[in-house]
Amino acid sequence: MTAVPTIAPTAGTATPPRREKRRSIANLERPGVFVYGILTAFILASAFPFYWSYLVASHDANVFADTVPPLLPGGNFLANASRVLDTIEFWRALGNSIVVSGTVTLSVVLLSTLAGFAFAKLRFRGRGPLLVFVIATLAVPTQLGIIPLFIVMAELGWTSSLGAVIVPNLVTAFGVFWMRQYIVDAVPDELIEAARMDGCSLIRTFWHVCLPAVRPAAAMLGIFTFMTSWNDFLWPLVALSPEDPTIQVALEKLQAGYFIDYSLVLAGTTMATVPVLIVFIVLGRQIVAGIMQGAVKG
Amino acid sequence: MTSDTTRIASGRGLEPRPPVRDLPPTTGDDGGDPSRSWRYRLSRLDVKFSPYLFIAPFFLIFALAGLFPLLYTAYTSLYEWTLGANDDAEFIGLGNYVELFSDAQFWNALLNTFSIFLLSTVPQVIVAVLLAALLNTALRGRVAWRMGVLLPYVASLVALAIIFSNLFGEQYGLINTLLQAIGVDPVQWQADRFSSHVAIATMVNWRWTGYNALIVLAAMQAIPREVHEAALVDGAGVMRRFFSITLPMLRPTIIFVVVTSTIGGLQIFTEPKLFDPNSGGGGGSDGQYQTVVLYMYQQGFLNQDVGYGSAIAWVLFLIIIVIAGINFLITRRIAGTGEAK
Amino acid sequence: MRHRSSRWVKVLACTAALAATAATTAACGSSDDSGKTADGKIELTLATFNEFGYEDLISEYEAAHSDVKIVHRKTGKSDAHHQNLYTKLAAGSGLSDVEAVEEGHLSKVLARSGQFNDLKEIGPSGLDTNRWVKWKVDSATDKNGHLIGYGTDIGPLAMCYRKDLLEAANLPTDPAAVKDMFSSWDKYFAAGERFTTAGTGKAWFDSGAQIFNAMVNQEEQGYYDKDDKLVVTSNPVIKEDWNQVTSAISKGLSAKLPFGQPEWTTGAKNSAFATKTCPSWMLGVITESAGPENKGKWEVIDAFPEGGGNWGGSFLTVPKQSKHPKEAAELAAWLTAPEQQVKAFSTAGTFPSQVEALSSPELQAMTNEYFNGVKAGELFAKQAQAFDKAQYKGPASGQLQDEVFANALQAVEQGKSSDEGWTQAVENAEKVAK
Repeated sequence: MTAVPTIAPTAGTATPPRREKRRSIANLERPGVFVYGILTAFILASAFPFYWSYLVASHDANVFADTVPPLLPGGNFLANASRVLDTIEFWRALGNSIVVSGTVTLSVVLLSTLAGFAFAKLRFRGRGPLLVFVIATLAVPTQLGIIPLFIVMAELGWTSSLGAVIVPNLVTAFGVFWMRQYIVDAVPDELIEAARMDGCSLIRTFWHVCLPAVRPAAAMLGIFTFMTSWNDFLWPLVALSPEDPTIQVALEKLQAGYFIDYSLVLAGTTMATVPVLIVFIVLGRQIVAGIMQGAVKG
Repeated sequence: MTSDTTRIASGRGLEPRPPVRDLPPTTGDDGGDPSRSWRYRLSRLDVKFSPYLFIAPFFLIFALAGLFPLLYTAYTSLYEWTLGANDDAEFIGLGNYVELFSDAQFWNALLNTFSIFLLSTVPQVIVAVLLAALLNTALRGRVAWRMGVLLPYVASLVALAIIFSNLFGEQYGLINTLLQAIGVDPVQWQADRFSSHVAIATMVNWRWTGYNALIVLAAMQAIPREVHEAALVDGAGVMRRFFSITLPMLRPTIIFVVVTSTIGGLQIFTEPKLFDPNSGGGGGSDGQYQTVVLYMYQQGFLNQDVGYGSAIAWVLFLIIIVIAGINFLITRRIAGTGEAK
Repeated sequence: MRHRSSRWVKVLACTAALAATAATTAACGSSDDSGKTADGKIELTLATFNEFGYEDLISEYEAAHSDVKIVHRKTGKSDAHHQNLYTKLAAGSGLSDVEAVEEGHLSKVLARSGQFNDLKEIGPSGLDTNRWVKWKVDSATDKNGHLIGYGTDIGPLAMCYRKDLLEAANLPTDPAAVKDMFSSWDKYFAAGERFTTAGTGKAWFDSGAQIFNAMVNQEEQGYYDKDDKLVVTSNPVIKEDWNQVTSAISKGLSAKLPFGQPEWTTGAKNSAFATKTCPSWMLGVITESAGPENKGKWEVIDAFPEGGGNWGGSFLTVPKQSKHPKEAAELAAWLTAPEQQVKAFSTAGTFPSQVEALSSPELQAMTNEYFNGVKAGELFAKQAQAFDKAQYKGPASGQLQDEVFANALQAVEQGKSSDEGWTQAVENAEKVAK
């Protein structure tokens, strides 16, 4: 990675504040070419695997074995995509994944924010130790948990239903910790105080004061959760009914055989990335929107 | 540990605020006072119990999905237990742990984990903070830039495995082909220990830097503009403002990033597994990039030596707690420097 | 002890589950899933991986058995399929009624034979195990004589080679001379040395592990003795084979391209190696990997050093978890009958393990265009019979072959000395087998 000696362009080029009343540091400086250069490099590096995937997906399998891939997309993407649709139950699996990841994301964001709010702003007995406990659970390696988790799910009779992949992920320690750290500073005590003075119950205070103020953080958590859930493979493979898989489990079937047809595999992954990109764009705007549209301080 | 966390739990102390939690009194006797309405009593109940209700979902889900696996690994770690084998499990007490400490492969895995951790997590967190600062300037088309750096995070793992194996292939990989084209010796990405760590750290950094940058950015946006303006008026330069205002005000977030990156870095698993063309848990032909979690997975899951795998899991857990704790303390110190006015 | 601990596990799981969902209707201990569909049919689940070619056969079976409904779980990669298998074996529930097991995983499954039904006991009574080639049946029989799996397909070994590369290195290319060159390992390595010293810049074989595995599998005794004792160091032939292969590596015979990795594919396309140990299914892999530009350059010949061998192929097992073991065994027996396996061969190219299927006209007539129209069916049927003994495999034989020794040989290819590699292999072998 490049060493970054300067973090911002020349000081003192502050432009006068623009129309909006509350803007963050953003308007203090106009970045120079240097900043745009660094960022462009970052974006190119970020985007290249997507382009590479599409390149392979739009040619035939044989191209993958070339050391230097062709630089321009070929014309086979639609043919490869239709082979994907013929090989696996793409739409059904996609639907399942949307249900699973969507439910998990909504739930994680809501429940983590709720718990984060309690840990950050409310006083109750045992708060410190309980928070330490939550954070400590993050340090537990989960890779061996799959067998005992399956035992629990089988006892509950939940295996083979989507519940088996949804329920264990409804709220995460990661989410609680992140929202707690964000809320501590981003939600001013005065606001909560004012709401309480107006006679709001804690849950109403949470709903009307806290939730609107944490949109950027909640959106980050949302993207993170959605992606983790979307990419999960081994647990859905084990826990779900073979007729009703999630998209990653279904896509794995494209890798059958000793010779893996990478143009087919990457066509499948490219197709499955589209819904993710949509979620990403929707939630991404929330992050960018910043807090000024939410609760207003002072 | 407890007292430290109580301190994170009580928010940063930049500007003392009236503690909201003290508003409705939580102590004091309101028992037989006729002037207290039921509304007030309801409010008292609310204050007393709602916090527990708010955090209850986490603990419920943990009890359901997290607790049993934890107890299961604790229990099996005391046994010579091969899953499903015809032979019975045998109680050996701390035998697995004793064996672990004289297991060269474990120490090798631990060393690899630290090496990859240092090559990935440390530069990553620093670059993420700096990148966030860049993204927090008045860029044209801010939406696109910010979302652009997050792109790696939405890439499919399958695609990543395929593409990175193509990049870092020893004989036909793109990087080595380019190196040879300019007359440089090809790098042994798989065979050489350090090179393999660099390759894996590259994957890790590629996936996570933008993500961490946006986490920091989300927090940066919450810093009131007035604070910066005031500092600007006082003539503070960019660097000074960054170190004495931005960084301290980001403290809770930086702590979050450092703690979770430490945990994530020490539990590194996905990337070395994807990097291994044999897709097993071996981490290279001689474990040159086998990490602790990979070793745990190999022993406990692939080889079904659940007892031994569980012992590795517990030892790793303790190591992570210690190191995350140390990092937490260091971070608190560094990020806290601007606090003393 | 095992029973006690598994009960303990169950109690704990129940407590955890109940504590967390006191309100839900978790009926612990009494899972009343009878394995029947709503209309009273018996539901049989069948789990396979890769391509078994069973789709049409399943419909055919359902048509003939109106009381049976079959649910087919298909996984792509063998790894993922077996991970699912082991997880559910360990968890004690969730397996399909019929589970496919690949040859490489067979030793691990045999070490857990207590969790599988003895097909001799529950299978259809009239079934004659002589319908399979003998070694296939032997390899799926555990120490107590229980038959754990019905054989599906096999991967008899022949040799593939690049005729053009042999010519370029002035090696003989007429079939009789090639056969002689591939008749013993000594001759094979000697030819390899001549090939590499001819200066074509190509390697003789793809990777050392491919050769070593074939050699060890031909020995009377492999990594284990019949009492499941590890004999890696006490069985001298292992070290002899090791020395032969590592010396070949040091002379530059290996292209250092482990099979199954992306670089192998690129290597095949770039003509990196001149010979390949070739099970029947390898022809398809070479065709796809080497690509149209190498069509006609590859040959396959009915010869293999020291006789023959097998790589790949699977079995159908019936785990004890199955609620309908008899019906499941009946289905597995039917699917692995010669007639059905010939059909599977024509759909998916899985080479049958049944004697009768090997002589079927469909199979005998099969040719391969990429390999210059060779009568591949006839050739591999011959190779399948050239091989008649199943070496005894201990509990970790599969891992020893695919992980321990393959990795150690790769380490040698990456620069370790033969002795260092051997030390690594022995250490890891003792660990895996402990």
